Amino acid sequence: MRTAAARSRLAGYAGTYALLLAAALLTLAPFGVSVLTALTSAGQFARQGPLSWPSPPTAENLLALLTSTDGFLTPVVVTLQMVAVILAGQMVFSVLAAYAFALLRFPGRDLLFWVYVATLMVPQVVVVVPLYLMLSEVGLRNTFWALVLPFVLGSPYAIFLLRENFRAVPGELVDAMRIDGAGTLGLLWHLVVPLNRPILATLMLITVVTHWNSFMWPLVITSGPTWRTITVATSSLQSQYNNNWTLVMAGTTLAMLPLVLLMVIFQRQITSSIAATQLR
Amino acid sequence: MRRGLVAWLLVAPSLIGVACFLVLPVVLAFVVSLFDWDLLGTREFVGLDNYAALIGGGALLNSLAVTALFTLISVPVSLALGLGLATQLHRALPGSSIVRVIVVIPWVCAPLALGVVWKWILQPSTGAMNAILGMRVEWLTSPSLALPAVAFVAVWQNVGYISLFFQAGLARIPGSIYEAARLDGAGPWRTLVHMTVPLLRPTTFFLAVTQVVASFQVFDMVYALTGGGPQHRTEVIASLVYHEAFDAARLGRASAVAVILFVLLVAITLVQQRWFARRITYDMS
Repeated sequence: MRTAAARSRLAGYAGTYALLLAAALLTLAPFGVSVLTALTSAGQFARQGPLSWPSPPTAENLLALLTSTDGFLTPVVVTLQMVAVILAGQMVFSVLAAYAFALLRFPGRDLLFWVYVATLMVPQVVVVVPLYLMLSEVGLRNTFWALVLPFVLGSPYAIFLLRENFRAVPGELVDAMRIDGAGTLGLLWHLVVPLNRPILATLMLITVVTHWNSFMWPLVITSGPTWRTITVATSSLQSQYNNNWTLVMAGTTLAMLPLVLLMVIFQRQITSSIAATQLR
Repeated sequence: MRRGLVAWLLVAPSLIGVACFLVLPVVLAFVVSLFDWDLLGTREFVGLDNYAALIGGGALLNSLAVTALFTLISVPVSLALGLGLATQLHRALPGSSIVRVIVVIPWVCAPLALGVVWKWILQPSTGAMNAILGMRVEWLTSPSLALPAVAFVAVWQNVGYISLFFQAGLARIPGSIYEAARLDGAGPWRTLVHMTVPLLRPTTFFLAVTQVVASFQVFDMVYALTGGGPQHRTEVIASLVYHEAFDAARLGRASAVAVILFVLLVAITLVQQRWFARRITYDMS
């Protein structure tokens, strides 16, 4: 009796491991074959087709991309700058606004917050044409400012998420610090921000991922090699060198590698906290 | 009074952002949709002609059908697989924490870049998929296979991310409930269907709403995989907006499509809220 139960439990473990192994392999296989292709010479790929082990592995595709004048170096730098500026702006301005909405009283607060929440329903594709017209009108088309301006002043999503968390700060602590003479900003910096480090870190990660990967807006508002981002460069590489797949896979590898590394470094943060972004 | 002023100063930057880059563009989208407007700036008021042309022509109807079909395939499949994966990861067997990280990797990658990778994998003669299968299937260029193939790639990208939410939901269910079910003689399947799934309803609701809304806006992945072809079989609504605006230079027509999408998404969100609000009966907190 006991051995039968143990055997069925063992079978259950084996089944779980088989499923998890399959999930891991199906997830990793596309990355694996694309990286291998990026390390294969164009000649070997033409002779042996896909799924051949690179012999010898070559960096020629990656080097070609990084050294050619219309290559990936400029897009990487542009994307890094864009993400850095948007991240800084969004964190500062979202934290300030969320703090006011969560812990301060002011006339018009609830109505204004309702407007912010309503804008959560606005899809990007609805605003992309008007934004293109607006920024072209003021002469910002194909500039760095056009890449960051629509996002740098904070995001309603971040404000909503932070407000939920800031509201959980105990009122007694707020009162105690007020009595000790803390000002409005002192309260934010010395109490609210330190208590909310995990959600702030999660939000930073989400912001970096979102804007490193953003495509439609940079595609529309930039043209030519000066201000294009890594996603736009990847896309034009693919259409320009349609069948040169070793080069194209080098491009996708470069586009994805930084975030995969970020993911591996912050794995615990990401897997344990993404679910905390569930809005109620 | 002074504190009110401080609060408004704190809100001011984001208010300028919301007003200029969200509210104003939405208003402008409605306005532009009433014009015949090209990329060079020539514009002529045409009233509701753009809407009439869209409803009379086949492109809008096609895009609505394509988007709806894409959603109907990708959302239920990715939710079901995400739940299945979560139940296995929830057992927390040694080593499963590595898998938990691996399956989320596609979520941090650009849909555009993943689309390019899968475009190569699914190439008829030089791609890895057909090399493995030993067949020559036109995954992305056959009119009947293209949309399911795009939906498959979207599911592949999202399952791990979705499973994170289900894992969090499973962690909130008290283990004592399962103990009781086991003592009552319920097998694993009945436990899943009659207990786990109903108890996860708040999580499922959240995921269903956000995933439906996201899949109605899908663009990057389709742009990379098929560009909307073959024969417009994968021309989702966002692709139609993009092509009307920046290929055909009909900004008015594109804005009308965008407005229709916006109205549709608001309606879907409200309907889902009401439909699920009546059905969420379990409060786990």
